[in-house]
Amino acid sequence: MPSNSAFRSALDWGSLAPLRLRARLVAEGVYAGAHRSARRGAGVEFGGHRAYSPGDDLRWLDRRSLLLHDRLLVRQFETETDRALRLVVDATASMGYRGAGAPGAKLAWAALVAAALARIAIGSGDPVGLTYLGGRVGSAGVPGSGGREAFERVVGSLEAASAEGDAHADLRILDRTLGALARSARRGSIVVILSDLLDLPDAAADRVAAIASRGRIVVVTQVLAPDEVEFPFGGTVRLRSLEGGLVVETDAEATRERYKERLAKLTGDWERVLTARGARFVRAVTSADPVKVVREIAQAAR
Amino acid sequence: MTLVYAFALAIGLFVVAPYLAHRLRRRRAEERDFAPARLVPLAPPRARSRARIEDRALLATRLSAILALALLGASPLVRCSRLSLARASGGSVAMAIVLDDSMSMRAKLGATTRFERAREGARQLLSSTRDGDAVAILLAGSPARVALAATADLSAARAAVEGIQESDRGTDLDASLVMARGLLADLPQVDRRIVVLSDLADGHPDAPPVGEGSTVPVWIPLPELRGAVSDCAILAADRSGGEVRARIVCSPEASTKGRQVALVSGGRVLAHAALPESRSAEVSLGLSLDDVKRTEGQGSLSVQLSGTDAIVSDDVAPVVVKAGPRPVAVVADPTDGAPATGGIPVVEQALAALGLEITVRPIPAIPDRGEDLGLFLGVIVDDPKGFTPEQRRALGAFVEDGGFVLLALGPRAASAPLGASLEPILRHTTTWDPTSSPGVNPEGASGAFAEAAAGGIDLDAKKRAVIAPEDLRAIGPLLSWTDGAPLFARRTLGRGEAWIVTLPFAIDASDLLLRPLFLTLLDAWTTESKARASPRRTAVGTMWSFPGAHTLEVLGPSGALPVSREGASPSVAPEAIGLYTIAVDGKTESRVAAPVESEIDMRPRRASSSAGGEGLGDAHAAVDASPAVALALLVLMALEMALRLRARARAEAA
Repeated sequence: MPSNSAFRSALDWGSLAPLRLRARLVAEGVYAGAHRSARRGAGVEFGGHRAYSPGDDLRWLDRRSLLLHDRLLVRQFETETDRALRLVVDATASMGYRGAGAPGAKLAWAALVAAALARIAIGSGDPVGLTYLGGRVGSAGVPGSGGREAFERVVGSLEAASAEGDAHADLRILDRTLGALARSARRGSIVVILSDLLDLPDAAADRVAAIASRGRIVVVTQVLAPDEVEFPFGGTVRLRSLEGGLVVETDAEATRERYKERLAKLTGDWERVLTARGARFVRAVTSADPVKVVREIAQAAR
Repeated sequence: MTLVYAFALAIGLFVVAPYLAHRLRRRRAEERDFAPARLVPLAPPRARSRARIEDRALLATRLSAILALALLGASPLVRCSRLSLARASGGSVAMAIVLDDSMSMRAKLGATTRFERAREGARQLLSSTRDGDAVAILLAGSPARVALAATADLSAARAAVEGIQESDRGTDLDASLVMARGLLADLPQVDRRIVVLSDLADGHPDAPPVGEGSTVPVWIPLPELRGAVSDCAILAADRSGGEVRARIVCSPEASTKGRQVALVSGGRVLAHAALPESRSAEVSLGLSLDDVKRTEGQGSLSVQLSGTDAIVSDDVAPVVVKAGPRPVAVVADPTDGAPATGGIPVVEQALAALGLEITVRPIPAIPDRGEDLGLFLGVIVDDPKGFTPEQRRALGAFVEDGGFVLLALGPRAASAPLGASLEPILRHTTTWDPTSSPGVNPEGASGAFAEAAAGGIDLDAKKRAVIAPEDLRAIGPLLSWTDGAPLFARRTLGRGEAWIVTLPFAIDASDLLLRPLFLTLLDAWTTESKARASPRRTAVGTMWSFPGAHTLEVLGPSGALPVSREGASPSVAPEAIGLYTIAVDGKTESRVAAPVESEIDMRPRRASSSAGGEGLGDAHAAVDASPAVALALLVLMALEMALRLRARARAEAA
């Protein structure tokens, strides 16, 4: 008889499988033609300002803005060079949740979006790398590389992914992933993080926002199941958290509004912290059309 | 049990259905995974408890509705353990209910008493009567009484049953049955019966069966009243100096082992002794000198039995200062009153010969103090030379308080010295005159002398006392001479009486003393005086009469007693054993009502073989409760709808 963890780790792909085929369909639905570089950083065409983050190249510090407005701003430029795409998929236990009305588990849906993004990037000649937040011990992801084989490696890794780990209790999960990402992501690369943001430590938003330096573009996509957004339960329910083992018995009707308020506050806090540091924030529900979400992410990454 | 009956009751098994549904609904909510559980707030405790209460109310309503439905199906067939009348001919019934209110009915029967069970039986019988039936209610406590004469007013019968109280009386079943037959005799109903609600314990377990040979059918239901019980009772507790003697009687089945008899004063045990292992025993308890002084004149002494038995109220008895029958004082001149052969005066000899169980105490003269006279049951004064002022005052007080005087008038009374008179009995002096009357007139003799008067037709007397005409108007003749002058007369003074004889008790004056008429006179006077002077302790239920009393208040163990003023004198009947304080015309005295010994024998008499009630009634009546159950079912359904509507309204509001 399989253990409880075995059940937990068995990812519910639902109607999202097969991933490879579904990812191609999604990618084809997205406008992926010749595009202007969405990467901002060193280049010839001015691309705007953003707030300074420690580690930014001081050469691009806008001294005029500093003198006029007493604010540290960094000048950004558009470039025509290739852009590395770094995908960070949250594979902690909470991403294994599917809920009613969803085509599959959140991790499966995030894998589909990630694979579609990889397909688009590789189609544009950009290298793609994949990193997991949590997940099965030993799944190191896919280092940044280009070409058809890179897509196969990304898809193969995503198909083997499982939702495991407790990022709320084990702070090393976050440190390990973000530390490696900060070291390996090149200037001007695009970092797309797909996570529900539910059980991450309190300082996670600041840590993620800090990546958006050195010309890196960070797009954080919050992936939630429809149940998590609507809280459609009725009567007395006992809800068990997938991370931390917390069990809550409550009257669904009586507490629905307060739950939504708390969820909105969590999302708002993340969005406020990220946008203040130049990162982008995208909300997605697994019942939504992944094509639209991928397109939204692509637009946010420009 | 018919198939329909079983099927209807089987519906009651569905009572578990809403309970199981409730349990399923109320069971702990099943756990489910929910990733953002950390963001879910706990439910408000008030809302949770409210939901719980609503659920229970709804559950209780549904359970009750199903049970009511089952009962509704079976109700015409439901049989209850209750008494009801049977109507063999279907016509109206005349019923006499004999309810035993004797002391033995105080015995415990589960959580209640035999009396309460019997009264409940009477209520059940009355509830099965209908218009046209006649009901009479009798009480079997001694003496048997009619609580309600035969009537068709059933509401009056119900009220009479409710008004009957327990008592400590003895039992007189036979008399109550005779009275019941008498009450039913003149009723038009053909179907008649007597229902006896009694333990049949009247102290005569070997007497003929109750109801045997009765011309009216007798039904003796409630066999549970006749179960074996045991009891011990204190019949009397008398104090004489420093000793208290208690007489205790136990029922044959009673165990006296381990029980104690204690003398108690103000909650303090002064002496105690073990209860002897015999059915009837007398226990002596000594008082110390200090206790004698401390309790002198107090009425707080009581004797108590430890342990418990069937009747608690008879385990305690107030102590009465022992006083034997009060003597009769005789004031007679030994020289004139004695026969020529010598010896005690004739009147004393006559009193002794009558065997009246009284003590005769000759005294030389009427005492000057009223207290000294109060020791006597009555005073016989033979031809006194008048009374001194002190004697008059003492004699007046004695008679006013209920004393009896027998005054014989003769030559000495007619020649009273200066300052002496016959007051307060006669206001004027008498004369001693010759008489020509040949004897008494038997025609006008009062009841007691009606037979003996014939023996005085030729009464030989040369002279007789003549009473002044003014006094004649105040006296009532008992027996008269042939010329109409009184020979025996009576005068009521306050609560007492003075009987007057117009001949002295001397052989020389007449031959009255040699005739039966004289003995009849003494017998009648003594009987009357004994009836007036009730002893301090009587059996419970004995009527206490107070002739001549103007005001009477009696306070018993259970409060003030109603005073009956039927007849010439007020009277009360103590219903409960214990100490009674009696205020008669402002003067207070104490009396004790003691248990009747026969009530302690709790063995029941046998019931006649025909008293089983076949054709007369049933102890397991079929009661059609359909209307009441249907109404209850409607109410329950309405309540359930109201609860569901309220729950829905709350859910929508939430």
